[in-house]
Amino acid sequence: MRECIFIKVLMPKLIIDKREVDAPEGVSVLEAAQSVGIVIPHFCWHPALGKAGACRVCAVKMLDGPVKGIQMSCMLPVQEGMVVSTTDPDAVAMRRQVIEWLMINHPHDCPVCDEGGECQLQDFTIAGGHGIRRFDGPKRTHVNQYLGPNIEHEMNRCIQCYRCVRFYQEHAGGSDFGVMGSAGRVYFGRFEHGPLESPFSGNLVDICPTGVFTDRTARFRARYWDYDMAPSVCPGCSVGCNITPVARYRELLKIVARRNDRVNGWFICDRGRFAPKEANDPLRPRTPLVDGREASWEEAEDALLRRLNEIVELYGEGSVLVVGSSRLPFEGASLLPLLSGVLSSGAPGWFATRRETRAAHAAVSLMTRENGASMADVMNAGCIAIYESDLREEGPMLLLAVRQAWRRGAPVLLVGEHSPLEQTRAVGIEAVQLHYMEEAPLAIFDRPVVIAGTKHGDPEVMAMLDRTGARIAALFPGPNGFGAALLSAEQGGGPVGAALASGRVKGLVAVEADIPAELLEGIPVVAALDWRATSAVQAAAIVLPTTAPVESDGTYVNFEGRAQKFCRVIRPGLPVKGLDPAGHPPRVHEAAPPGGDLRPAWRVISDLVRLAGGTPPEEPLSGRWARLAGLDPEGEGMVLGGRVLPNDA
Amino acid sequence: MRVVDDITAILTGLWTTLKHILRRPVTVQYPEEKRTPSPRYRARIILTRDPDGGERCVACYLCSAACPVDCISMQAEEVEGGRRRAAWFRINFSRCIFCGLCAEACPTTAIQMTPDYEICKRDVMDLVFEKEDLLVAHGGKDARYNFYRHAGIGVTQPRGEGAEERPPVDVRGLLP
Repeated sequence: MRECIFIKVLMPKLIIDKREVDAPEGVSVLEAAQSVGIVIPHFCWHPALGKAGACRVCAVKMLDGPVKGIQMSCMLPVQEGMVVSTTDPDAVAMRRQVIEWLMINHPHDCPVCDEGGECQLQDFTIAGGHGIRRFDGPKRTHVNQYLGPNIEHEMNRCIQCYRCVRFYQEHAGGSDFGVMGSAGRVYFGRFEHGPLESPFSGNLVDICPTGVFTDRTARFRARYWDYDMAPSVCPGCSVGCNITPVARYRELLKIVARRNDRVNGWFICDRGRFAPKEANDPLRPRTPLVDGREASWEEAEDALLRRLNEIVELYGEGSVLVVGSSRLPFEGASLLPLLSGVLSSGAPGWFATRRETRAAHAAVSLMTRENGASMADVMNAGCIAIYESDLREEGPMLLLAVRQAWRRGAPVLLVGEHSPLEQTRAVGIEAVQLHYMEEAPLAIFDRPVVIAGTKHGDPEVMAMLDRTGARIAALFPGPNGFGAALLSAEQGGGPVGAALASGRVKGLVAVEADIPAELLEGIPVVAALDWRATSAVQAAAIVLPTTAPVESDGTYVNFEGRAQKFCRVIRPGLPVKGLDPAGHPPRVHEAAPPGGDLRPAWRVISDLVRLAGGTPPEEPLSGRWARLAGLDPEGEGMVLGGRVLPNDA
Repeated sequence: MRVVDDITAILTGLWTTLKHILRRPVTVQYPEEKRTPSPRYRARIILTRDPDGGERCVACYLCSAACPVDCISMQAEEVEGGRRRAAWFRINFSRCIFCGLCAEACPTTAIQMTPDYEICKRDVMDLVFEKEDLLVAHGGKDARYNFYRHAGIGVTQPRGEGAEERPPVDVRGLLP
């Protein structure tokens, strides 16, 4: 039996604004104050980047204790017996004057600045009591740089907090952006014009406390108080980073990172942030179509069932295939087996190739709630092996997590020919390349993690990853890849490519599935449920338009099996922009927006099942999935694990 | 006594009536006759131009945020040269209460109130004014102010050449 060891946890007690605060040792006075809801203004301090002591705006007065007088609260670790005042006249005057200095060179351009309304500098300037400019001398100016198509640079607004360079170089390992100049001429930029190279450069927009870096893709479009926003999950890859899509007038404008310490922390990657806004695509299917002709929902649904039933009568059972995908939200995915049931078509297909299907099945069946690696596990890993994956494609945010582990001393091993060295170079880390998983000496390290890609990973190797003793992160092709793999593995779903190529399939229902056009040739009846204008939608005789992820609530299960809810941001409908030829919005409004008769995929599936004589559940997530129905979209989500048993619910 | 009080009251009233019969009438015979409101009278709203003839409105959304009845809506856009302006701008005068908060909020003095109070229409939709109905060719009450000259970013002039600005710094210079 092991001896019980009592560790004395040091919790220094201090008093902040007459309130007693217990804070763990090592945290700053600023963080201790924040933990009890006392806000101290700050610019250079950031929860993910720590302190720099550069802005001098978090001044507090130490009334008693080991340190006395005006101090910078972000630089001062808590100590027993400190008495802190944030409201002392000396501290207030200090903060007001510092803000005034910071504002000396700040331009007078808030009306034409995209940060206006969501600007930390605006907030703290007003809060600090500096309302009217007293200094009337000239302001220093800078020449801006072209930083690529996504990020706008306006150096005149800079207040020298150093957040951007600390994020870019230290956190994200970029080397093409830095700080130049001296004294009052400090300049944050590249050595010469050109797009930022880091795959995480978009976070400069979120992290800058003022408008030096703004999102160029949403330049001059809307203000914070007019935004349509809701907690959401990035549909870009299987990592499932938490995001806030920003929309206005039914048009998706930009994507902003949303904090979730269990998944993405504070940041997201550029691939997710600057992804093309497909929800705004004017070519999206917006009305049900039968043979290219607009039809009502009832007509189209009847036609779909009638034609597919004819196929089944003609060619027998198994001649119709229902195809789901990794981007279909879990609500729809969990109902898909019912649809293939009423069409007597066996298990739905989820993945394209035989190898990918087997790799996904292998990955999902060896992951439990215990051995799955979350993003936090990757960050704290003692050693990381990346197996057959280019994380820049399959899960960029994991690459940022790998860098944080590497900064703490964890070696990074790239295993297999599909794990290029360029990915680790993109975040400025050194990695060792290996040929086989057996060569990776994971056992000699504490807390090893294997990140495996199902796109190129060998199913045989994937199935044995749990024997390495490492925590496993398997990456899937889409945001609900784990959910798709879970359902596919349970029902024995086969590869879609092989089934279509065999010629046995005479009727196809593609539910938000991306199927290459050449595989669709020669299939007599193709029906598509989708919100994108995919090749299946182009080829389909019957099209049922569904809602985009920003237009409906839903759930994605990410790479570690964490189910996360996302919420509706926009009411479905054509964007106001472009509706009226005169340029302004229509002068007469109808009750429902044009092009807004879209339905979530789960509802369409459920309606089809009911029309075909089946009994779909009332709610999309019910029965064994009922516990996912009440997920808090702003919470941490719920880890399912790969082996979800029927009585697990 | 009550009777005396009543008679006094009647006589006082009659006296007031008689007094006003001999006075000059205050009624203005509108619309044949019109009074001139003061220049600061708050009525029909206009969008003015800067001294160089450019649109002053930068579509910053402050007026629509300040509007207590939500009668202003707009969409900002970027035009060649980095200028920000309204792609469309709409004021619904059937809803406007002429409180003047929009003009007060405007940082570029673009939106201004005018004394033109005669904006009755037979169709309520004619009271929904678009940008082309609002935009005028003059500077309104302040003809001289040009926001971009003072903004501190180079849009209408090269960087560092606006009012209250130093020339751009040489970041590669080593001198203190």
